Amino acid sequence: MGCDPLYLDPRINGPLRMVLDQSELLAGLVDALGSPLNVVLPDQVAANVAAFRSVYARHRLRGTIYFANKASRSSALLRALAATEAGVDVASLNELRHALGSGFAPTRVLATGPKTEPFLWLAARSGASVHLDSLAELRGLIGIVEDFGLPPVRVVPRLCGFEHTGARVLTRPSRFGIEPAALGPVVDLLVARRDVVDCAGVGYHLDTSSLEEKAAALEACVVTLDDLRRGGLTPSTVDIGGGFGVTYLADVARWDRYTTALTEAVLGTRPPLTWQGHGYGLRAESGTIRGTLRLYPAARTDAAHTYLDRLLATPGPRLGRGLSTVLLENLVDLDIEPGRALLDQCGLTLARVAEVGYRAGQCLIRVEANRDDISFEAGGVLVDPLVLPRDPAREARPCQAYLVGNLSLEHDFLTHRLVALRHTPACGDLLAFVNTAGYFSDFSAGHALRQPVATTVAVAVSGAGTWRWCHDEQYWPTLGACP
Amino acid sequence: MPVRYDSVLDLIGDTPLVRIDPRVHGVADTELYAKLEMCNPFGSVKDRTAWNMASPEIRSAAARGHQVVELSSGNTAKALAIIAAVHGTTFKSVTNRMRIPEVRDMLLLLGAEIEELPGQSECLDPAETEEPLARFHRALVESGTGYLHTDQYFNPRNAQAHIDGTGEEIVRDLDGRCPDLFAACVGTAGSSAGVATVLRRVDPGVEVLGLVADKSDFIPGIRTIDEVSEVGLFRPETYHRIESVTAAEAIDGMVTLIRRCGILGGPTAGAAYVGAVRRLRALAKRSPARRTGVFIVCDRVEGYLGYIRQRRPDLFGRPPTAASVETVTTADLAGARTLDVGAARSWITAAGPLVVDLRGSFAFAAGHIPGSVNLPEEIFADLVRGGMPFGSERPVLLACPVGERSARYSALLTRLGHPDIRSLDGGIVAWRDAGAPLARGSR
Repeated sequence: MGCDPLYLDPRINGPLRMVLDQSELLAGLVDALGSPLNVVLPDQVAANVAAFRSVYARHRLRGTIYFANKASRSSALLRALAATEAGVDVASLNELRHALGSGFAPTRVLATGPKTEPFLWLAARSGASVHLDSLAELRGLIGIVEDFGLPPVRVVPRLCGFEHTGARVLTRPSRFGIEPAALGPVVDLLVARRDVVDCAGVGYHLDTSSLEEKAAALEACVVTLDDLRRGGLTPSTVDIGGGFGVTYLADVARWDRYTTALTEAVLGTRPPLTWQGHGYGLRAESGTIRGTLRLYPAARTDAAHTYLDRLLATPGPRLGRGLSTVLLENLVDLDIEPGRALLDQCGLTLARVAEVGYRAGQCLIRVEANRDDISFEAGGVLVDPLVLPRDPAREARPCQAYLVGNLSLEHDFLTHRLVALRHTPACGDLLAFVNTAGYFSDFSAGHALRQPVATTVAVAVSGAGTWRWCHDEQYWPTLGACP
Repeated sequence: MPVRYDSVLDLIGDTPLVRIDPRVHGVADTELYAKLEMCNPFGSVKDRTAWNMASPEIRSAAARGHQVVELSSGNTAKALAIIAAVHGTTFKSVTNRMRIPEVRDMLLLLGAEIEELPGQSECLDPAETEEPLARFHRALVESGTGYLHTDQYFNPRNAQAHIDGTGEEIVRDLDGRCPDLFAACVGTAGSSAGVATVLRRVDPGVEVLGLVADKSDFIPGIRTIDEVSEVGLFRPETYHRIESVTAAEAIDGMVTLIRRCGILGGPTAGAAYVGAVRRLRALAKRSPARRTGVFIVCDRVEGYLGYIRQRRPDLFGRPPTAASVETVTTADLAGARTLDVGAARSWITAAGPLVVDLRGSFAFAAGHIPGSVNLPEEIFADLVRGGMPFGSERPVLLACPVGERSARYSALLTRLGHPDIRSLDGGIVAWRDAGAPLARGSR
């Protein structure tokens, strides 16, 4: 067992698997457009939206599924989402412009995050909804609406700092949202200025995967909503933000085996698995493991829509009933803002192998990309790339190697761990990093050292099985419809 | 033997060793004994640990008004909460997550304070280096007041409690002999390390089996193979073997102990029993010989009923009564009378039915059909189980959020003989959507 390679195979579903089988197409794209290359599959987003909607149906709930736009810069994915029933959550002026230009009617757009005056103006002018993070933001918005004589704006105050009963649940303090003590003046102003702002509901976003924290927050929002209704407002939705997660790995057992091996390696009871004793947050102190594994739970069984399903079945701590029942009974609609979960299986990143070399007895695979292009590890996700050989006839030989990048910097590692590959790559082969569309393709890419930034292409398959591709910016939902 | 004590704390320790009937464990030529740590006064093996760690300093800490704190989500917290309380001070438990609601409620009943650490961040920030333990220690420093941190995972007095107590008692009750096998679940590693130390002194040949939870599983009170490496008291050389037990096996073992031996131990006891029997069977197969084994029954079953019900609903399977909504068939449903909002409004005016709202009381107060009464579904289900709650003189209209539950109850009550009971189709949601009036109640 100990000698068996510690593979961390990616979870790959139908359409993405089909693209990976098109090795000639992919090789041709990288030859033409350079390495790294992002490939997105706009057709997949509709299935992801439908999966979330099926959970709504099962719980008999209504509400809007907003795509958290910050997860990807791709125009193709956004336009494909515009072709579905989904809304979009934009967090900057340019995201708002992009969303409006991609086909989202303003009623499907929610402006969130840190806001500037032009951002608020365009949201208010076009008729998008606005998440409010403070009293000052509400005052600023009211000022803009009055100064420019705009129609009333739909607003959703975002709450934070939820109180708990019984056990005290500690929650990371948030940069965003209105604390309970500050809510009074916000409500007073919302009531006083009903002519200018229309309070459509309340929301929260908690950066945690804990169901208990989220259950307490959701229930608190329903209670706050009732207070607002008693105050004479007519809010009808609770927006629970995102954080539904994605399952990146194919096999839970392999993940369990890997993390056990990593613990043993850090303790020194098995050979190192990482570069220079890197422990991903763990360290050994006199034979005991200290620290915390700072890794994304990449093999979770309850991600995306199944996580939402579980959350809705969780009883709220105060009212003691399942959260979906609480929402239904109180005539409250549910809005959600998934980011990466809506982009699950929607893309991959290709990098050409530049060199397979050896240093200090270790195999190092250098690729034409860097850690900012392929940021899985920075996001705590450990998942193996697939090797797409140039020469399909070459015999497959397994290897263990570190993946390093094209920056002239000591720390440009794509992986600080030994990656087990079933196929030792050769110079010119492609490595395919799978499921990068959400947060892991263009989120952190930059122009450091004038290295090229990945081009993004959209691919789609026609009914006849022909693959078509275009530049991300050239994609419109009509591409798939053409013969 | 005196049975009068000055303090409940004097009851800690001196727990019985009980033989498991060989017809139950079925391993040839083998005597298997259960060490009933559940007989400690607060119900678990952790009473010894807690008292041994707290006893040197608790009086002075209490005199200075210092709070006792520990990272625990289970039995140690329970014992420390009681020890702190009887000495006139308070206890705070800091925990990653209380996964057993009964334990949480018990701690709150005992007057303990509970702090739960935040869940894992969804968008990992690689710049953040904070770990839960650092957060815990920082919180202690920030509190500004003094505290007594018993530090169960690193405190040598944890294992010492079992060297002086548990281990010695086992040898004494086996007439000075050492068992061939000692099996214990690894939590803080205190009891297994302590008992192993004593047994090895008597007979270096004793086999010590450490049991951990299967990694994909959760058994309250047992760590997984990775988690044991975080425990300061855990030394791999204490154990000859480390084996894992699944939650399903642990519950099976627990049911055997309960139903066939009358030993009301919890899931950890079941895990220790299963692990011990599995190992003794393997030893007997390899080389038949007379052997003695001992395992630890850490605590009692009562606190885990929810956990067990979730994993093994069959153990609680009562046949549904005819007066339960679960017995409603599609044929029953087809016969249920439903009214859409318009028809319901006319019928309310014309026939004056009793309108019953099956939603929760908070939702009812927020808005309801004027004149309706609120019987939340869980209460209503109990009423119906007891018999028909409505007289046949007056028609009834049932309403729930979307008209699904009310249709089932209407079908059930029709089958049970009510002459005119109807369901609001589409429920209160449809009522609201149709713009029909909703009244507000007071909270």
